Amino acid sequence: MGKSEDTSTKKRRKLNTSSSSDTKLSPVDIYKKVVEFEESESKLRSAEKDSTLFRKISQDVRQLFSDIAELKAKGTEEANEKIKTKRIEASLQLVALKKLNRLEKVRTRTGREALHKEKQRVDSTHLLLQNLLYEADHLNKEVTKCLQFKSKDEEIELVPLEDFYKNAPPEVIRPEITKTDEHQLQLARLEWELRQRRELAGACNELIASKERVGAAIAAARSRLDALVPHLRDVLKATKPLQECLALKLDEKREETKLASLLPPPLFLLYANASAYSDALGTNVITVGISGDEDEARRMDQTCNAEREVVASNDSDSDPDANDEEHREKKKRHHRAPKISKEEKAEAKKREALKKHPLSVLMTVKIADETAVNLTFLYLLHLKIIVVKVTMTYPNTITGVTAADVLTGDCVLNELYLGDTGNDSPHIATSYLLKAAGISDNFRKFIPEIGRPYIWAQRMCGLDFMALVADEHKTAKNVQPCSSLSIATVENFIFTLQNRLKARVKLMKELQDLESGRIVQPKEMSTVKLSGSLTQWQSITWAEYSQAPSTAFLISEGLVSPDYMLYRAIITRQSAKLVALVALSCDYPKQAPIFSLTLHWNGTHHCGTSDDIRDIERVINTDWHSENSNPVTLSIQMAKLLTCLDILLETMGSSEFSPDKVMLEPVLGRTRMRPYKFIKNGTGMFVQF
Amino acid sequence: MEWSTWTKETRLHRRTNRKGNANINMIGKMFYNTITCQTFSPCGKYLVAGNIYGQLAVFDLSSLLNPDKDKITADYDKPKRIHNLPKNTGFICSLASSEKFLIVGIDNEIQGWNWKEIHSKPGKVVWRIKIKTSGQCEVNSLWLSDDEEQLYAGCGDNNVYVYNLEDGTLISKYSGHEENQQLISSGEDGLVLLWDMRTGKAENKLKPYKEDKLARPDIGKWIGSVALGDDWIVCGGGPRLALWHLRSLDAVTVFDLPDRGIHVSFFYDDCVVAGGTAKHLYQLSYSGDVRVELPVSSTTVYSAILRTSPNKVLSIAGSSPDIDLCTTFNYRDQVLRFI
Repeated sequence: MGKSEDTSTKKRRKLNTSSSSDTKLSPVDIYKKVVEFEESESKLRSAEKDSTLFRKISQDVRQLFSDIAELKAKGTEEANEKIKTKRIEASLQLVALKKLNRLEKVRTRTGREALHKEKQRVDSTHLLLQNLLYEADHLNKEVTKCLQFKSKDEEIELVPLEDFYKNAPPEVIRPEITKTDEHQLQLARLEWELRQRRELAGACNELIASKERVGAAIAAARSRLDALVPHLRDVLKATKPLQECLALKLDEKREETKLASLLPPPLFLLYANASAYSDALGTNVITVGISGDEDEARRMDQTCNAEREVVASNDSDSDPDANDEEHREKKKRHHRAPKISKEEKAEAKKREALKKHPLSVLMTVKIADETAVNLTFLYLLHLKIIVVKVTMTYPNTITGVTAADVLTGDCVLNELYLGDTGNDSPHIATSYLLKAAGISDNFRKFIPEIGRPYIWAQRMCGLDFMALVADEHKTAKNVQPCSSLSIATVENFIFTLQNRLKARVKLMKELQDLESGRIVQPKEMSTVKLSGSLTQWQSITWAEYSQAPSTAFLISEGLVSPDYMLYRAIITRQSAKLVALVALSCDYPKQAPIFSLTLHWNGTHHCGTSDDIRDIERVINTDWHSENSNPVTLSIQMAKLLTCLDILLETMGSSEFSPDKVMLEPVLGRTRMRPYKFIKNGTGMFVQF
Repeated sequence: MEWSTWTKETRLHRRTNRKGNANINMIGKMFYNTITCQTFSPCGKYLVAGNIYGQLAVFDLSSLLNPDKDKITADYDKPKRIHNLPKNTGFICSLASSEKFLIVGIDNEIQGWNWKEIHSKPGKVVWRIKIKTSGQCEVNSLWLSDDEEQLYAGCGDNNVYVYNLEDGTLISKYSGHEENQQLISSGEDGLVLLWDMRTGKAENKLKPYKEDKLARPDIGKWIGSVALGDDWIVCGGGPRLALWHLRSLDAVTVFDLPDRGIHVSFFYDDCVVAGGTAKHLYQLSYSGDVRVELPVSSTTVYSAILRTSPNKVLSIAGSSPDIDLCTTFNYRDQVLRFI
């Protein structure tokens, strides 16, 4: 208690002193001073001590108040006295409390301020940090940018290092530096590159200049030549009477060559090769020509060459306007197209798909007796195949129906090569192309109209679709005419066709003979008298042929097919009638005729029911008896057949047929074979084998 | 007896043949093949057929009748081997089979082939017997006595020759030593002769073409086949097939067949088997009923042979490249092709 009193007095003193010392100063100053003092005091004193002090004083005050209240209750004088003192004491205490309160306030304020200051400091530091980080980031970016920078020189294609060291001059190379320093090396190489490029650019310019000079010279020469053309025409015109006088065909040839250049490549190949053979073999073997609409062809040629801008001939230069007009017209027509009817549309489609090149190659193959085959080769632009039309020329009229038939164009060309009937397109893409053009019909339907696409025709024009099949990498568009194929095929074709023609003319004569009932006997058998006679010879259809019972075996063994030319011969001798069905292969005489016999005498006999007939067929159809390789012709076989019939009838033992042939044994062996084999022994005789 | 080989000759012949045909293509003669004779090998393994082109075809019967299903090839029905006789040989007229040899009758000659080498190449003639006669004399029929000592050859010169198989000597032209044995022959002249072997003379004579119910003048008077049974003779050809009683020499049964000539007839198991220019091979009872009609490939049957052991086989061949094989004798089982 005493101590607290001491401090409180001290305070009071101090307070007093201070107040007393500042009395002379202005009120503002005093206040300032007081504030300053209290501030410093609040700093000096600890807050905890003040707090305990505050509590103690307030306890004291409470004590005093309770004392006072006690005393008041007493209500004595003494008590009043005491109350007075106590009051003073309490008032003092309250002053102290006030002081403490003020101090505390000041302290709180300074604390707050300090905190605020500190906060601001931290904030600014943080801001600084952010700035620095940003800056660092930016710098980093810059650095990577720099690192990634690409210089122009890296794009330049440089001379390889070895070449550089080999070719560049030493002052550029500077090996002592460049060997060690990559950068210097690069610089040196760039320098070398620059030098070289400059040199080359110079050279290039020089060359361009010289080219222009040459071009100018050419143009000059051309204009001179152009000036020459009218003169030459005049010369040609002047020579015409001379040519006519000497019967030279120079002009026609020239015209044709000009036309030939307009042919599509396959036909051109054919024309070139065929005309070469025509020159070599003579025009009495093969002649070649070109026919068709020349103007149309020229237009087509030009539209093809439009992009290429080739200066072709004077003609093309002279009438470009006409061409344009034509184009316009075509366009107009095209516009009108949608209006036409469906049928017409289909027809137009068909015409477009089967469109031919306006030019065609005419080829005529002749043999010695002036029989000729006229072939027209046409190129189908869309289908890219060759079709052939054929006509025949004969030196004199052919008597006989069957004889004329073997010399019709299609018959002559049928299976000229094995299996080549020309009945379907050899190009596998054809059906696809037709379908793509919107035509559902099979290509076969158009053959009578457009001609036959024989394989030899394709090959003569250098088109080999077989090779295409084998080589799958090529597409259908790339069928390029192959000249070597064309050469080989043309030669082969000419001779094959000639052989076929010769064979057919021979056959025609044989058939003429047969139709008139004449049998030509081979020389060595001329002594043999033939008693039978050929009364009928006519051609028959496959249906008739295949229905005959005698042919069943030939058909089932595949020896005769519907492609064969079929005939019926009727041979009679007294009451015996022999019907022979003859099948001739297209390849006759390479393939011998095949006979199928039916004998009407005492019943009907054929090779299925009678061994005798079978024996005759064996003798005639097979090579069993003919040791020598004589040609087996139809007439020889017919003569043989008549002989065999005579022998068979004469050995039957019937009195109707008087034997007039010399035979060793009429029948031999258990098979009772008749002597069909002729041997020239004296007047000749017949033996079995 | 002669020993010779002709392999080289055969090859030469083939080559020239091919050359000769270079420019003209004719139908292969094999399409018109006619098989004249057949025989079985004694072991039963092989069937040999001879044709008019002088070829011998050897078929492997054991593999044909018991086919190994995994090994069947496209040409299983073709001959295993074809032997070509020299070109001027002519027909192969007849075949017979002894224990050791395949006996081949051709023109003027009888050949012996070793059965052991028959399937190997080249074919080899082990022995030959030349028939000494004037003119042409093809061996149309061969028959071997049961003891395999004597070979009877019916020839184109209207004679029957008998040879000793041991040394190839001619024993007799008409007769042998056996007693109680009769020999029967027939031919183009329409006669059927019964020979007494002891005297060597024709004992009896039949003329079927003279019988009204048998004669078919449009076909001919020739007799294609004759066979002798215990009490019966069966014969036919141009005249109808008929059964004759041996003792009375009467035509007891006339077989009414739709044929155009009989070439094959023999007795088997109380039946008459007959064939010729007809669509069928017939098995007939003695009373004239048709028991079995066997369809055949050939226009004319020239050879029908049968055996019962080791298995039942009837092989029918004739004017066709096809040979019909029957194992039951009732229907056609297989068709072989001699091509």
